[in-house]
Formats: sequence, C-alpha cells, structure tokens
Amino acid sequence: MLQVLAIGLISAGIYALFAVGVVLVYRGTKVLTFAGGEVGTAALYVTAFLVTTHGMPWFVGALVAVVLAAGLGAVFELGLVRWSRDADPVVTSILTVALSATIFATEINLYGNNPTTLKTPVAVGSGIDVDGVIVSPIQIAAIVVAGLLGFGLQAFLRRTDFGLAILAAADDSTATRLVGVRVSRIRVVLWASSFALAAIAALLVEPTIGVITPGYASTLYLGGLAAAVIGGLDSLPGAVVGATVLGLAQSFADRYLKDLGLSGLDYVVTLALLLVVLLVRSYAPELRKRLTSPVEVTA
Amino acid sequence: MSMLELHDVTAGFGAVTVLHGVTMVVQQGEIAGVFGLNGAGKSVTLKTVAGIVPARSGQIVFDGVDITRLDAETRVEMGMGHVPQGRQVFANLTVEENLRLGAYTLRRKQRSRYAAALDGVYDRFPVLRERRAQRAGTMSGGQQASLSVARALINEPRLVLVDEPSAGLSPKLQGDLRDVLQVVKDSGVTMVLVEQNVAFGLSLVDTAHLLQTGTVVHSSPVADLDEETLATHLGIGRVLAGATGSALTTRKASR
Amino acid sequence: MTAVTLPLNRTTRVHLPMMPLGLVVALFLPALAAQTPLLNEPHALILTEACVLAIAGLSLNVLLGYAGQISLGQYAFVGVGAFTTGLVTGVPDLRLPWLVGLIASAGAGGVIALLVGLPALRLRGLYLAVVTISVAYAASESLFRVDRIGGGSAGKVVPPPYFGSHALSTSVDALTIGLVLLVLLLQVDVNLVRSRLGRAFRVVKADESVAASFGVDVARYKLTAFVLSGAIAGIAGCLDGTAFGTVTGQSFDYGHALALLVIVVLGGLGSRTGIVIAAFLTSIYPPLLVAIFGDGVRGWDQTVNGMVLILTVAFQPRGFAGAFRDAAEHRRMRAGGAPPLPPTRPNLPDLGRPVGMPAPRRTQPGTPVLEAHGVNVRFGGLQAVDGAGLRVDRGTIVALMGPNGAGKTTMFNAISGALAPDAGSVHFLGEDVSALPPHQRAARGMGRTFQLIGLAKDQSVYENLLIAQHLAAPYGVLSALTTVGSRRWERELRTRADQTLEGLGFGRFRDTPVSRLSHGQQRIVEIGCCLVTSPELVMLDEPSAGMSPAASEDLASTLIDIRDKLDRTVLLIEHNVPLVLGTADELYVMDAGRVIANGEPLDVVQRPEVVRAYLGEVSA
Repeated sequence: MLQVLAIGLISAGIYALFAVGVVLVYRGTKVLTFAGGEVGTAALYVTAFLVTTHGMPWFVGALVAVVLAAGLGAVFELGLVRWSRDADPVVTSILTVALSATIFATEINLYGNNPTTLKTPVAVGSGIDVDGVIVSPIQIAAIVVAGLLGFGLQAFLRRTDFGLAILAAADDSTATRLVGVRVSRIRVVLWASSFALAAIAALLVEPTIGVITPGYASTLYLGGLAAAVIGGLDSLPGAVVGATVLGLAQSFADRYLKDLGLSGLDYVVTLALLLVVLLVRSYAPELRKRLTSPVEVTA
Repeated sequence: MSMLELHDVTAGFGAVTVLHGVTMVVQQGEIAGVFGLNGAGKSVTLKTVAGIVPARSGQIVFDGVDITRLDAETRVEMGMGHVPQGRQVFANLTVEENLRLGAYTLRRKQRSRYAAALDGVYDRFPVLRERRAQRAGTMSGGQQASLSVARALINEPRLVLVDEPSAGLSPKLQGDLRDVLQVVKDSGVTMVLVEQNVAFGLSLVDTAHLLQTGTVVHSSPVADLDEETLATHLGIGRVLAGATGSALTTRKASR
Repeated sequence: MTAVTLPLNRTTRVHLPMMPLGLVVALFLPALAAQTPLLNEPHALILTEACVLAIAGLSLNVLLGYAGQISLGQYAFVGVGAFTTGLVTGVPDLRLPWLVGLIASAGAGGVIALLVGLPALRLRGLYLAVVTISVAYAASESLFRVDRIGGGSAGKVVPPPYFGSHALSTSVDALTIGLVLLVLLLQVDVNLVRSRLGRAFRVVKADESVAASFGVDVARYKLTAFVLSGAIAGIAGCLDGTAFGTVTGQSFDYGHALALLVIVVLGGLGSRTGIVIAAFLTSIYPPLLVAIFGDGVRGWDQTVNGMVLILTVAFQPRGFAGAFRDAAEHRRMRAGGAPPLPPTRPNLPDLGRPVGMPAPRRTQPGTPVLEAHGVNVRFGGLQAVDGAGLRVDRGTIVALMGPNGAGKTTMFNAISGALAPDAGSVHFLGEDVSALPPHQRAARGMGRTFQLIGLAKDQSVYENLLIAQHLAAPYGVLSALTTVGSRRWERELRTRADQTLEGLGFGRFRDTPVSRLSHGQQRIVEIGCCLVTSPELVMLDEPSAGMSPAASEDLASTLIDIRDKLDRTVLLIEHNVPLVLGTADELYVMDAGRVIANGEPLDVVQRPEVVRAYLGEVSA
C-alpha cells in the first residue's frame, strides 16, 4: 500500500513540474502548449552535450540549457505566434505540436534512437526505502520543487504587478491594455518562462534514469498536460492536485491490473481519467441546474 | 484649451466602415457626451480614441500631441483613463488588485505616489475600502461600476473615457452611478461619456455631440439643446416630424 | 457512371469517367511498370506506404478538414486497422479471407472512433486535442504493446490476400491493392463532398448554430464524421499490414502521427488532391535524397517536414491548396476588379415547397400564422423576456423594435426554438410547436436569419443555398457516399438553388465565398437561404444592420416582394425606423422584456412610452 503510494507520488511530482508550465501559458494566452515535452528533451541533450561531451559542471550545463529554452520560447512568440495568420488559441496550440515534431525529428537525426548518457549532478546516494521502493534524493527534490513552483508561482502571480497583469490579460486582454499593460510583452515572458520550466522539469526528472532518448520527456509531459487539464487549466495549485490524482490513479490501477495480467496501461488510465473528469465537468452545470431549480415543463 | 480633438476620423472592422469622418473637440475640464442610436458609432468613436480600433484616416490630438499612430498603452501612459463598456472589472481579482492594476503605469513611474492615490480613491468610494479583499466578480453591478471608475481615476488621468456606463443597470443603480460620475466631474478631470440613455447622459454632460451613422451631426452645449434638435439629430426625428421622406415614398410605391 | 466534372471555364465542362480510368491504371500500371527497371520491390513498398499515408490523410481530412473536429491521434486508428486485420485473418483454423480482414478493420476503426467521438460531442477545441493525443499514446504505448493484441516484440503477422490460389505477397501486388483502394476512396470522398452529408459537415465546421438553424442535427453529424474517418483510417491500416506482412506497435508512434498531420496541413485541409500529392511527395523525396546525397541526409526530411509544418500552420493555414486558391482569387480580382454589385431589386421566384418537406397548412389571409403568448425567458438574474406575446397574420409584415437589451432577439429565439423559454407558448399555423426543437419548426415552415450573419462564411453562395435545403433532401449516409438514390434529390436542390440565385441577381457570385461579399450582399444571400425552402413565415433579425441607406431601401422592396409576390408572411426585428415605417403592416415595440406598444407603425412610434424607451426620460 505504502509502496503504491510512493510510486504514485513520484509520478505526481514529475507531472506537476510539467503541468505548472502548461497552466502558466494557458492562464496568460488560452493556448495549450504541446511542445513542453520535446523542449525538455532538447534541454537534456544540450546539457548532455555540454556536460558529458565537453566536461562542463552539471549545473553550468543545465543553466545554459534553461536559458536556451527560454530563448526558444521568446523566439517562438516573437517570430511565429505573434504573426500567425489565424491568431486563434487552437491554431497556436497546433503550432506547438509542429514545433514538438521538429525538435523530435532533429533529436533522432543527431542522436539516433540509442540512449545518450548524462551523468547526475550529485552523487545519488542510497535513497530512502519506502516499503521496498527506493526513493532517491533527486526524486524528493523533484516533488519539493514541483510543490514550491506550483504555490510559489501562484504567489508571484498575485503579489506582483506583473503577475496580476498576467492574470488580468487572461481574463480580458483589451481591458488590460486599457490600464496601460503591454499585453504583447507579457506573452513573450510567458512563453519564455513556460519553455524554461519545461527544461527545468526535464532536468529534475532525468537524473533518476541517467540516459536520454528522443521523445523521452514527451511521454512524461503528456501526464503533465493531463494533470493540468484535470486541475482545471487555470489554477496552479489545481495542477498540482491534478498531478497527484493522476499519479496515484496510475499507480493504483497498475497495482490492480497487474493481478489481471495486464501491465503498462498507464496511458489508458490517463485517457480514462481525462475523459471522466472532462465529461463530468461538462455535464456539471446542467446537473446542478436540474438539482437546484426544477424547471416547469409547459405543454 | 482643448484636451481632445478628432479631425475627420474614419474607422471600422474588416469590410465595414463604421465611422465616416468624425470631427469633435473636447475642452479641458468639461464633460462631453456622445449620443446616438444603436450602430451610430458611439462606442467605436471611443475605441478609436483609446487606440483599440485603429483610425483609418484623420487625426486624433490628445492635449496637443498627435496620438493617431500611438498604441493604446502609450495613450494610457500619457494620461488617458478608461471605464470600458460593461465595466470590465477583472472578475477573478480582488477589489484592491483591480485598483493596483489600474495604477499600473503610475506605479511604474512613481511607486511612492500609489499609497496616497489608493487612499484618495478609497475616500471617494468608501464601499471599495470595505470590500477591498472581495473578488470583483462577486460584487453587485453598481459596486462594479464604482470599481471600474475608481480603477480609471487611481492612475491620475487627465482625460477619462466612459463607455455606456448605464447599460444593464436598474433605475436605482443608475442613480448611484450618476453619483459616482458626479465624483469624477467634481474632481475636475476632463471626461468623454458615451451613452445610449440620452436622459441619463444629459444630466451629467456640459456638451453634447450627436452621432448618426458614423458622423457627428450636431454639437452644442447642453443648454442650447431642445427636444426637437435632439430628436431630429438622433435619427428618430422622422418619427416626431411625421415620418416623411424615403419611408413614406417606399410605402406609397408598394401599395 | 461516375464522372468528375472539370470546370475548364465558366461555360464548358468536360466530363471524364475518372474512377473507371483510375481503376484501370491502378490495376495494370504497377504490374506493367514492374516489367521495366522503373519499379522494383523496394520502390513499390515506398509507393504503397505513400498510399497508406494518403488514405490516412483522407481520413483525417474528413474529420479535420470537412467537419472541423480536431484529432491529433488519428494515426492510432490506422494502427487499430492494421492489428484488426492481423487478428481476424491470423486466426489459425479459420483462414478467413483478406477481404473479411479489410471489412473488419474498417469496422473496428469506425467503432473505436465512435467511442472517441462521443466525448467530442461535449468537448471542443483544445480539450478534444488533449483527449485525442492521449488516445494516440494509449494505443501506441499501451494497447498495441499488450501481447494478445500486438503479438509482442515479434509483432502480428498479416497473411497476404489470395487471388484464387495465388498469394498476392509481393510489394507490387500490395501497391496494386493500395492504388485500387485509394482510387475507390477518392471517389467516396468526391461523393461525400457533394452530398448533403459533406455539406452538413462543412456547416458544422463553420458554425454549429448556423448548422442547427438550417436543420442539421449537429451531434449526429459529428459522430458520423468520427465513424467515417475511423473506418477510412482502418482501411489504411489494413493496407499497411498487408504491405509489410507484420505489424508492430512502433509503426504507429508519435512520429507517424505527426507525418500524417504534416501531409494534411501541408496539402491543405479539405483538399483531397493536395493531400494525396503531399502524401506521395513526402514519401518519395526522402529516399530520393538519400539515393543522391548518401546516408548522411537520412532522417533530416522529418526535421524539414516539421519546419514546413510550423511555417504552414503559422502563415498559410490552408496549405498548398489554400495558397493556390488565394493566388487564383488574387488574379481574378486584379483582372476583373472588385465584384460587381447585383441589381438593386431582386426578382424573387416562387419556388413552392420542396418535395422532401411537408407543405405547410396554408391558412386564410388575415388568420394568424404565428401566435406567441406569455413568453418568459430568464438568464440567471436577468429577466430577458417578461411575459411577451405577439401575433403575426398571414400575408403581413410585422416588425419588432426596441432599444438594446429589450429582449427582441431572445423573443425570436424562443419563437424559432433556438432556446427553450421558462414559460409561454408558441403556436405556428394553429399547431402548438412549443415543445419542438428548431429543426422541426423549420420543417413546418418557419425560416429565419440571424443578427450576426447566419451563413457558412467560408463557403460559396451556391453552397450556402444548398446547405439551406438540408431538410429538403432526406437521403442517408450510404446514398451520400455512393450517390445511389441521392441524384434525384440533388437535382431538385440544385435547380432550386439556381433559380434563387438568378432571382436574387447573384448569378455572378455563384462560386464566391460569402465572406468576400459586402455586408449588405451577405444579408441578401441570407434571405435567399431562408427563402429557398419557401417557408410560410420568414423571420429576419435586423436585416438592414450594416447596410448603406440605399441598400436598405432595396431591402424594403425585397420585403414587400416577399409579402406581395410570394404571398408569404414576414416577422422582422429592425432598428431602421424608415425601413419599418415603409414596409411594416404592424409594429411591436419591446422594452425591458415586455411588449410596451403595438399597432399601426406610424401611430406606435409617436407614442410617448416608445419615444421614452428609446431616448430615456428627456426632461422637457
């Protein structure tokens, strides 16, 4: 039982890290970014290039990768999103799919499908034994950072003028411009930080595995995307909660499906949970209306 | 001294031209009213002044500076304040957060002035001080109207554009709103007020500009207005004048 | 039997029997080419893959291009088809023929797509994107890796089809099969596009509320699009399995899903030709480059494709085909200048009711066509319509005026069935229609237009006139895909559309997208769409909005023609006082949800309460 819980929380930490970036962009632009996974993987390859190939310290390599990711985000907004012919959130979301595809293909071309190694930043140590599951310090760090980011960013959004402007722009960008906020500048910052967050998330997750393959972070990012949607897309703490629910659901499902001789159905669980949450939410207003105020049917 | 001048401004959306050359002058310290029926171009006039809808031709001068090509944010920095249509308070933010955003450019220029400005606004609108931590979206329509006006005033603007403030408010709330706008008027800020509810608007403004199908058809001090002029120039004149002209000819031709 | 019409110019059309021709080419060309050095086995396999991609592209196009439903996981259905073929034909003792596998894979694709489509009825846009991408992952990373389905790491074996006792196991055979399937499915696609099914898809994509107003059952057509596209993807999967002989989970991963998106977006959503060309190009050029430049360039085509996809989505979202059409339109505009104005006074033809729709019960002039009583509509705390009622007599024009927010459009919606009032009744031609959905009220002879133009804007004028007759040609999905049993209906529809077009004087705008017309012209087209099914009651919501004064005078004569020449009844919401006074027989004025005055228009507009409603309390 404790074992299942531990596995679930480890996944939850990973998903939450990615979900925070998803929610940040969505809050500010109503765009769902699908590119975070590959941006994260690319950041890992950059780090591996600097650290494994050129012998730089891990933290320097990681910092460069995060900065490059932020730069890519800014360029993406300044060079593409802003000039898109259809300035529609759905089209922009598809644009992130295309970006993801390009990065993925480039990774394959440069590194092939064989795993690339990236050494860990600190000696991993022995980790903590939770009922047979070894939880490494980095995994704990990932969970802590996920929680801090989720709640810390929320505080940033509410405490600073810039954060408030982000929230306001998401509600009503015209009204926000009319108080003098340059909404277009906010968008650049949002994309840059979202890509940087994806890189940070990937960098925190990877050390427990130690190797990278193309598309590596995308499979985890899907969980983050789902967690963000489950959490309602507009709340950072909601994303953390969504990630926890998803992580636990997967680990419990895995535990019980194993008895049925089925394994590796994580994605099916994700899909099922997504559908249940989305459908319940879409029917909720009608149900509430029907429960609270019975409508007289006139003949 | 004129605070705002529009010279032959045209504007519209896509293939539709809404403003066919609007010209008007607003003097410093006065309250100017822009009136007209649905679709006359009142709100588009205001949005063009704000910089949300680009002017296709013509010239807009704000306090002696040609702002025709400047973006909306710059116009706010220069001292333009807005009370948008439908009030548009940031529903998910608290009252105080709304006010803080209202003072966005003030806080960037001179953060130290903010505390005093906030106090000033709270003194003028005590209800906002009481509800400073409440989410704006959960307040009543009248309170939201106060917040929307306060959000514009806190930035210490020289000109405030108010778009259809009475729309959707009950007669009682319209009374409250009138009091709120009276506060603005007393503060000496220049104001442009767009209203469909002519009676409501006339009770506040000094000068009236009557708009019909995208052009100003009449401008004069309120004192010089009579019901006949008003009715004629608002396009409902044909009603009172016995509905002559094209309407009747079409009718006769068909029978 | 089947023919594609090539519009060479406006008057000459050449009919070519494209499908039989295509079938002959598909059947014999690969075998002939295999005799020459031009086509060897590896080449044939590449071309077969192109066929798979093209068919998968057509399937995604049905969903995304026609019906406007986002799916990022379409390649999963190709996988479903491939594994289904393997499962069905690979059962040891049964030895089911390949054709059964093909049908089963189409069926499985369709059924699973139906399951994905059900939530799509409630979800749209981004949520649908997330769900479908999860479907792709669930299929490729989870389901296809279950040993019983995916056959483990060895994959699932797909036995070749047999022609008599001869196994069709070479790649040239597979290419032949692929080309035949592609030709057949292209014909199905042609049929689909021209049928009421295709039109319904397009209008659902353009605007769901417009679709509903034309009588299109939105939910049903969305599901149909999912099923159809899943079935076609399943067929692509069957071909894929047949070509390779084995199927593994890896064949349907993220990379393939993106390749599919590339060809559909690049080729141009909604353009079958563009998609097929894109499928063959993206399949052929990479091996060609490898052959020329060596192994170093292998794989980089994916990066290039990705970049091209980015640029296409950002700057030319309608792909090749869109760029092509834009250029053609540009040339036309430069050659002919702006589109000419239609004659000012349309000559409306009386078409009579379509065969497929019940004739409304005609009533005597002067008796009510429409009666609404005590209509109440509440939106949250707002009483939008408060006990309003009105009566419209046959052969009259009745106008409804009122200031902004008076509840006019809400009242209209309650009458047409677009929303259910909290209380009140609506009687139409003596029948209580209060409980009927909008498309059934439309079928009884109620036609309406919308405040914001209710047309499929990206479609041509003619297309809109056809969509408007959705209820008048009630043939089914199979007829739509095969054209069997649909022609008689289509002929009537097209005749009526042509006559209306002529009557409106819009013949020259036949193929012009509605969005390129002026606002006033769009209004006239909208009225044409309303009249094309010859409804008894014509309801118009602010028809003169955005019209120049001259155009609204023309509109006045059109309204009078509808009453006097067509002998129909008109109910309109209007702000334009001269227009109302010039046309209406009776005027209702609403304010704050209530009818505050009604009667002779000239009299009504001078009543103090009406002037007050418009101007507020003007203190004398």
